[in-house]
Amino acid sequence: MTAYIHGQNVNLTFRPPNRAPVRALQGFDIAVEEGEFLSIVGPSGCGKSTFLSILLGLLKPDSGDIDLHGKPIAGPGTDRAMVFQEFGLLPWRSVAQNIELGLQLKGVAAAPRRQIAQRFIEMVGLRGFESHYPHELSGGMKQRVGLARALATDPDVLLMDEPFAALDAQTRDLMQAELLRIWQEARKTVLFVTHQIDEAIYLSDRVLVMTKRPGRAKKIFTIDLPRPRDYEMRVTPEFNDLKLEIWNALKDEIMG
Amino acid sequence: MMEDAVPRPSFVQQNRKLLLGSLSVVAFFIAWQAAFLVVPFNSLFITKPSLMFEALWRLTLSGQLFFDLGASAAPFFWGLGAAVVVGVPLGILMGWRSRVGQALDPLLTALYASPLVALAPLIVIFLGVGPTGKAFIVFVLTVFDFVFNAYAGVRSVDNLLLNVVRSFGGKEKDLYLKVIIPSVIPYIVAGARIGVGRALVGVLIGEFFAASEGVGYGIVKFGNFFALDSMFSYILVITLIAVILTQGIRWAERAAFPWRAGQ
Repeated sequence: MTAYIHGQNVNLTFRPPNRAPVRALQGFDIAVEEGEFLSIVGPSGCGKSTFLSILLGLLKPDSGDIDLHGKPIAGPGTDRAMVFQEFGLLPWRSVAQNIELGLQLKGVAAAPRRQIAQRFIEMVGLRGFESHYPHELSGGMKQRVGLARALATDPDVLLMDEPFAALDAQTRDLMQAELLRIWQEARKTVLFVTHQIDEAIYLSDRVLVMTKRPGRAKKIFTIDLPRPRDYEMRVTPEFNDLKLEIWNALKDEIMG
Repeated sequence: MMEDAVPRPSFVQQNRKLLLGSLSVVAFFIAWQAAFLVVPFNSLFITKPSLMFEALWRLTLSGQLFFDLGASAAPFFWGLGAAVVVGVPLGILMGWRSRVGQALDPLLTALYASPLVALAPLIVIFLGVGPTGKAFIVFVLTVFDFVFNAYAGVRSVDNLLLNVVRSFGGKEKDLYLKVIIPSVIPYIVAGARIGVGRALVGVLIGEFFAASEGVGYGIVKFGNFFALDSMFSYILVITLIAVILTQGIRWAERAAFPWRAGQ
């Protein structure tokens, strides 16, 4: 049986005008199970975000196969949604209107749209901020909107591209816990790109380490820590052992 | 009882900005009037606020002011309208098709920077002293405000937001409706805010060179007759109109684009 998300020998080279081509992914393989939380860590510029863009359908690989639920990916679809690092909120839309964006593009009528949006506003803890504009929100609140917007279209797969990288450390811890809570509730398949080993271990079922550019899968770690997880887990010996192992796999790629 | 402990802000506190601003205007007129208690007054060279407001009252009652305002308003709106109709699409095209932008940018920047006012006598020779010539001067002076603001607006469109809309299955039409147009409109309105000031200058200049009616013509005519009280009353009216239009657009911007407050 093939995996829920299955990528084999994926290759992509960027060819910017007037500059040398950049090989982003070369021979990248991946297999993700349904409902799994998988994190991807790797050195800067290793093609992690590129891979998410391919899954999202915004980029096409030069060669290789990527299937979702047994079907090849051809462009964006409502079965996937992305949470962006820089939030990507439309500044002229209120919190509620931003969350409704995906539903609106999907053709959902105004009344049910508002109802669905309200449910996710409450899930991410933004009740009372429905009519605020993005510039009136803190970074953490903006990313709550980003998360609610992605969840509102009820995708099967949630793609998260360093979603908490722009947040301060305390807000990040809080958002990680919130994400785990929401994930237990919604049970989506999550692909989570991050630079932080801590974050990857704390959230994931498995952690995939990528090589430096051109990126391919180097090693996969299974995180056998029990769920639900809490903050104290981060100081246990098991957690630190995993952290060291992953760091050792990543070290050569960063230093080299 | 705790709520009562915090006093409501007084009328003065609430309107401090407006009050202080008005105070300086009133002080200016008082100082102007009072100066002639010391300086000898000669109505051939200067006027004072009391005479100016008296002339304004006279010209309002006789209908002369409204006649001239009407004569100036038509070319003002036609010229400005033409500048929007030509400038906005051109600016959007330059931003969207980068080759068009790169080709036209140097020429248009040079024209924008050059003192186009100097062409006014030529325009009057070609198009005559009527409203057409005046409207064309207004057009030439303001079209670049719309071109460059629309151009900047399109270039300011955030690629990330386009990708967000695409990722939810948005089509070309959605990119325009949900991202590009909302990004560009505030720039165009900002262009209009600069443009109305320049358009007023354009009308006056057109009427200075050659005209038989209009506020600018009136200013020159009164000057020639040494009717400085009437001349200054017209300048005051133009100033007031400029302030009202600019502030009106500013107010409309705040009302229409509340998200811009944070930028």
